Amino acid sequence: MKQVIIDIMADGEIKIETRGFIGKACLDETDFLKNLLGYEKARQLTTAFYTKNKKVIKKHLPLCG
Amino acid sequence: MSHISRIELDIKDLQSLKEACKRLGFEFRKNQQSYLWYGRWVGDSPLPEGITEDQLGKCDHAIKVPGAQYEVGVVRKGQSFILLYDEWVKGGLKTKLGVNAGLLKQAYTIETLRKEARQKNYRFHETKMKKQIRVTLTL
Repeated sequence: MKQVIIDIMADGEIKIETRGFIGKACLDETDFLKNLLGYEKARQLTTAFYTKNKKVIKKHLPLCG
Repeated sequence: MSHISRIELDIKDLQSLKEACKRLGFEFRKNQQSYLWYGRWVGDSPLPEGITEDQLGKCDHAIKVPGAQYEVGVVRKGQSFILLYDEWVKGGLKTKLGVNAGLLKQAYTIETLRKEARQKNYRFHETKMKKQIRVTLTL
């Protein structure tokens, strides 16, 4: 089930969270909401974003050498 | 969960703003060209971006807030609208509108989402939480 959860604070701040999306689909499928309400000022990707065919794509940072 | 975004609100839809006013018990006054305020800018707070001193008190529409002496001006800026109002305590708007007119912006956001959900046939669910109102759209 694909859900978009929008938290609207009493000072007008808006936070959008997506659930049930796999990979980059969450960005494409929620673009309309961001455009509808205003513009995105910050974004945080979560584990599911890096998931492809239910497998987490591990990314390693070269720490030395 | 796949990503979290923080959004800066831009008021674009007048119909949703009218619905937001209705929700809060405010009166949207279409085409009212001026709004009540102190009447003179005293320089105690910065002017809103893109607004000059001469433009204060003038608007395209206005919002009457019951119990407040002053009114809110709705001013068109390109494709969007900005809210102009005097925060002076005795004007009565600050307590009714919340910080940065947050309560009005909150209601506007909810009504915009409700309208969009209706148009796109999404399931809309609203929950009042301790610090915020949560809208869940099921696509």
